[in-house]
Amino acid sequence: MVTLGEGEWHTVLNHLAAQLRRPGAQAFFQGARVFLETGTRALEVTQIEELIALLAQHGMTLVAVSEPSSQAALQRVHATLPPVPETLAVKEAAPPHPDTANETYALLVQRTVRSGQTYQYAGTIVVIGDVNPGAQVIAEGDVLVWGKLRGVVHAGAAGNVQAIVGALVLAPTQLRIGHLIARAPEEKRTPYFPEVARVRDGRIVVEPWTEISGRGG
Amino acid sequence: MAGRIITLTSGKGGVGKTTATANLGVALARCAQRVVCVDADIGLRNLDVVMGLENRIVYDLVDVVEGRARLRQALIKDKRLPELQLLPAAQTRDKSAVTEKQMIKLCEDLRKEFDFILIDSPAGIELGFRNSIAPADEVIIVVTPEVSAVRDADRVIGLIEASEKPAPRLIINRLRPAMVRRGEMLDTADILEVLAIELLGIVPEDETIITATNKGQPVALENRSPAGGAFMRIARRLMGEDVPFQTFEDSSGWLERLSHLFKR
Repeated sequence: MVTLGEGEWHTVLNHLAAQLRRPGAQAFFQGARVFLETGTRALEVTQIEELIALLAQHGMTLVAVSEPSSQAALQRVHATLPPVPETLAVKEAAPPHPDTANETYALLVQRTVRSGQTYQYAGTIVVIGDVNPGAQVIAEGDVLVWGKLRGVVHAGAAGNVQAIVGALVLAPTQLRIGHLIARAPEEKRTPYFPEVARVRDGRIVVEPWTEISGRGG
Repeated sequence: MAGRIITLTSGKGGVGKTTATANLGVALARCAQRVVCVDADIGLRNLDVVMGLENRIVYDLVDVVEGRARLRQALIKDKRLPELQLLPAAQTRDKSAVTEKQMIKLCEDLRKEFDFILIDSPAGIELGFRNSIAPADEVIIVVTPEVSAVRDADRVIGLIEASEKPAPRLIINRLRPAMVRRGEMLDTADILEVLAIELLGIVPEDETIITATNKGQPVALENRSPAGGAFMRIARRLMGEDVPFQTFEDSSGWLERLSHLFKR
């Protein structure tokens, strides 16, 4: 999911382009389907077309545009927003849950997830930013955090023990995969390096994050 | 020029919001700014006590909002600084006595008369918090170097981001340099790593704050107080000056300093 910030349209677009050009991002987002959260912005059709073109350069497709989740903002936007082009509008924010591992439905969260905030999604959740203590990220698919993961994380929330949790700094308060629960060790480990948690032999194990596709060994 | 409405808030109670509001008010007034401190903690007012103006209260914020008094009647002039005024909270009512709309109207009226409108928010994230955030142009988060305070600050920052205010800035209050050196206290970097917002200032733990607060004599009035100096620097940063951050020598470190002298 892409959430648009405040500011002049081309600044926002350039910022997004810069994010997508970052090392590693290319391979990461290849083939991704994008949900667009418009923030308070009223998008023109031409602006959406520009966005689609940008995403296409990176092998991504825009599948939906959604309105902001904040209730107050929602009311305000309803009052001012011209109708979203019909081909792009969706009623339901969440797509059907992917049954096969090849599907790439993902919620992209581009901000610090702060204490008290929860992200819940029927597919994979990708966070570009930190997940702070007191925050929750719950996905039916994988959870990938390009930042420090220190809150509560649940991958495979619908019971999928094939799901994984990966983070640049994997230090969650609590980590769940499917029905399994693990706590982070009490002592502080340094230096941190990217790690991935997955289920092996009925237990959650944490390994260095070398290759994301190596599911279940 | 219209004034800036700045709300100080924290989520957690007892981190020094009221003391920070009073001292920042004093510091800005000493920089020749016209300042009004607004106590939004209706029902638990104490900004007036910290500023030493309790015995002058005739009308309060709720009287103004409900039309029993004009704004000018309720404003109390500080006895030391002519630039500084206080709008006290009501003591006999509760948070529901005021709405967000009324707070916005009130602050818009104050904006015409003052350069800075500093709102002292109550603790928590309920009605009183929302009332004090609603009129704000800028928000300052006050945090102490404790895990629980940082956690609450993080929650509040999330709420402020969701309300489409500009990103808040941070004051770290009651830092004890000696404890940080011994690794017993969260340091500035630890806090900033979690909260990821701009640092506005660091106020060292200062015992004179306690006596000053009890006497209603904010430390920013005194030139020798370390905390008072910190608030003066924060005030100058708020006014757009580029003031470098200090590393604090605390008083218990005098032996260390002495040994440095001998080594030379």
